[in-house]
Amino acid sequence: MINLAIEGKRTETALVSGDRYQQYLTFLVGKDIFGINILDVKEIIEINNITRIPKTPDYIRGVINLRGNVVPVIDLSARLERQCSEITKLSCIVLIEVDVHGESQVIGALVDQVNEILDIAESNIQPTPDFGTDIRTDFIQAMGRVEENFIILLAINRILSIDELSQLQRVASSHANLALSDETSNFKKMDNSDEH
Amino acid sequence: MSDFGAALDIFTQETEELLAQMEDGLLVLEDDAHNVESINNVFRAMHTIKGTSGLFGLDEVVAFSHEVESVLDKIRHGECVIEAKLISILLNCKDHTASLIKYCLSHESEELTETLRAIGIALITQLTSLSGSDLPTSLVNSEAELESASVFSIESHQVIDDNWFITLKFRQNALRNGIDPLSFINYLGQCGQIREIQTLTPDLPPSLEFDPETCYLEFNIIFHSALEKQEIADIFEFAEDDCDIRIIPPNSKIEQYLNLLKEQEPDSHGDIEKLGEMLVNIGALTHNEVTNALRQQDFICHQESMIPKPLGEILVELQFAEQPVVAQALLKQQGVRDKTVAESNYIRVDSAKLGQIINLVGELVISGAAMRLLVERYGLSDVEEVAVGMNELVSEIRDTALKLRMVAIGETFSRFRRIVRDVGNELDKQIELVITGGETELDKTVVEKINDPLTHLIRNALDHGIERPAQRVAADKPAQGTVHLNAYHDSGHIVIQVADDGAGLNSDKILAKALAQGLVSADQELSRQEIFNLIFEAGLSTKEQANNLSGRGVGMDVVRRNIELLRGTVNLDSIEGRGTTVTIRLPLTLAIIDGFMVETEGERYIIPLSMIEECVELNAEEWQIDSIHHYINLRGEVLPYLRLGDYFHDRSRHCQSNGHRESLVVVKFGQAKVGLVVDQLHGEHQTVIKPLGQVFEQLQGISGATVLGNGEVALILDVQALIQYAVKPKGTNGHTLAH
Repeated sequence: MINLAIEGKRTETALVSGDRYQQYLTFLVGKDIFGINILDVKEIIEINNITRIPKTPDYIRGVINLRGNVVPVIDLSARLERQCSEITKLSCIVLIEVDVHGESQVIGALVDQVNEILDIAESNIQPTPDFGTDIRTDFIQAMGRVEENFIILLAINRILSIDELSQLQRVASSHANLALSDETSNFKKMDNSDEH
Repeated sequence: MSDFGAALDIFTQETEELLAQMEDGLLVLEDDAHNVESINNVFRAMHTIKGTSGLFGLDEVVAFSHEVESVLDKIRHGECVIEAKLISILLNCKDHTASLIKYCLSHESEELTETLRAIGIALITQLTSLSGSDLPTSLVNSEAELESASVFSIESHQVIDDNWFITLKFRQNALRNGIDPLSFINYLGQCGQIREIQTLTPDLPPSLEFDPETCYLEFNIIFHSALEKQEIADIFEFAEDDCDIRIIPPNSKIEQYLNLLKEQEPDSHGDIEKLGEMLVNIGALTHNEVTNALRQQDFICHQESMIPKPLGEILVELQFAEQPVVAQALLKQQGVRDKTVAESNYIRVDSAKLGQIINLVGELVISGAAMRLLVERYGLSDVEEVAVGMNELVSEIRDTALKLRMVAIGETFSRFRRIVRDVGNELDKQIELVITGGETELDKTVVEKINDPLTHLIRNALDHGIERPAQRVAADKPAQGTVHLNAYHDSGHIVIQVADDGAGLNSDKILAKALAQGLVSADQELSRQEIFNLIFEAGLSTKEQANNLSGRGVGMDVVRRNIELLRGTVNLDSIEGRGTTVTIRLPLTLAIIDGFMVETEGERYIIPLSMIEECVELNAEEWQIDSIHHYINLRGEVLPYLRLGDYFHDRSRHCQSNGHRESLVVVKFGQAKVGLVVDQLHGEHQTVIKPLGQVFEQLQGISGATVLGNGEVALILDVQALIQYAVKPKGTNGHTLAH
């Protein structure tokens, strides 16, 4: 378990204006810092064994055993259309409760490092810019200003939307099927892919 | 309050069961109008509903069920003839009772809606008009009187009038013992009205032998009084030793006894009341009569040293009690006995509690595996013995726990009798439902979820499948169509079949429709089976016009989805003109299975043990492996095979390069057999099935996950999907059809 600073830092500007705060958990994915609303976070755990699930897209890292329940883990980096995360000592799984048609389901998000909890004043939260990021705009909830920097606040419910995860996977798996079904002709291609 | 809530739960459940019983009974009666047992069942169901509804203050239910009950009572006594129309109405009454109860429970202390009330009144009117043609009540009860009053003409009076019939046979010593018959008759006259009296002297000897001190008198008295039997008997109390007294109650009394018997609730201890006690309690017998009858019973028993005659028979023989009353009492006794037996054999348990136990057992299985792992790792040989013993116990506990939730599918099946009957009537088709394999057991949670799909399939068979009688006769088939529901176990699965001998499906028509709707493309080559299974695609219905039963093209896809959610499969086969068979295969349980663990490419997978035929070492030299078409020759048998590693990891490696022998696990599902090539075999493993969740709903080849002893997650293979994939000819894109 990683100890988190429960009392997050408040930026000076926020203290002056004295308006309402929202707490955000910030973490590292690749080299960027992202934040998600603390209310979405259920738990943060260290990484044990992740069991791969075959025939799924890259961003589905696999499943873990969370106290007897099987929980899927999403590679946040891959989901944000970047490279797959390398697992290091600092890697963590942030468990997030997602609402699926009235039922809540726990999904894990693999991040490279968990930083801290920040209080961000509502006046410092600004709408998503239309340009300037490589991330799908609907994945961004807002931008939070912390001192002079901006942190991307993720729309975690969109990113972990079960409907989308299972849909995309269907596409991916039928691709895999197609590739496999014509195995003989694809042999070369596969051998190539094995080499790197 | 919560107690009351629990009681209400039991009440609703019980009434449901009772109503189901009633329906079953009525449907049996439809075929066999003289089935006494069914008549009694139906009556008892209605009667119990009336009683328990009264307990819960559901007055509307009581009022309605009372009316129905009285009609059923008439039927039971043969006063009213059972015919198809009456059964229809009674079935409707059963439905109405169900909706009444539902309404009353959900709208506490509210008035009934107008519609409900109107339906109730309409039903009762129909009922009474049908049963109104009663035979005179007298016919029913007269048998007993016929015997008793053998020689008399007055017997007819006694039947019609509301009178007691008393016979006094004084013994010869009566006068010597100071008994004066006249004084008794005089006293009787004061207690009521003696309508008629006849004096008989059958034993009167020729005048020479006549002894004035001997009493030869017998009296038959017709007596009108409001007294109870015991009170009348008390009048003759002093004469008891010198006189045989028989008191036969009037008809109204008999009816009263019958009613009393019905209403009498078994006492709280659930003890079985003795017949005598029961009859004395309602006043049909006096204490003396019981004692006499018991003495008689003893006497017969001693004298003829045989099995004692039932008390009931003796009572009737001695004319202490009337046949219908005794019969009713015996019935009642039997009912109480049945109930006591049933209650002592079964415990009602909340299914959530069972679910919890099964979950806990699941966790226990996993911890057991974890312990075994540690024992092995540290080489604790003395602990190992204990661990092995415990493991065996755990697996026994697991099996028992799972069995707790197993129920026979027969009950689900017999519910369809009603649907078949109603739909048959509605469509003017003669349809018989044949049920076999009703004793096949499966998990209750599965049973609940299979109900809807089954209903749909049966409605389809009735509507699309079975033709009208005229058409059937023209096609050289019996006018009556048959729908056959069948169930049996097959390698860890339950197979449920819905078959009809109707028109069948035309595969060309289905294909044409599927092409028109773009479900398949023209260049696809489909097997017959695949074409028929197109029927499960959304939006495909071969029926030209939809009606209120089926044919709108929604449904079959829902059927398939529901069944797939249960990790089952559904297949359809049909011969045009001969009929259609839909086969559903479901896993027996959704909780814990015996699994077999294999490893390939460093990942562990579980294969349900029940689906494994054999495991062999893959011997590439000996077997002719056709790596293009993926077939091997296993002891002369051509077997399609699938490399798990290739299938799951999109990579092609060959066993030769790995330097170690691979193994072949032969799995089967239904008729199909396939070999799965894996790197390593790990042996049996008790597998607790954990759902993978909605994210992986579309995943093919994996049916679930389980937690291993070391805390890792292993995936459970969906053998059936893998077989389908392996058997499919490679090089076509046919398998995209599957979804």
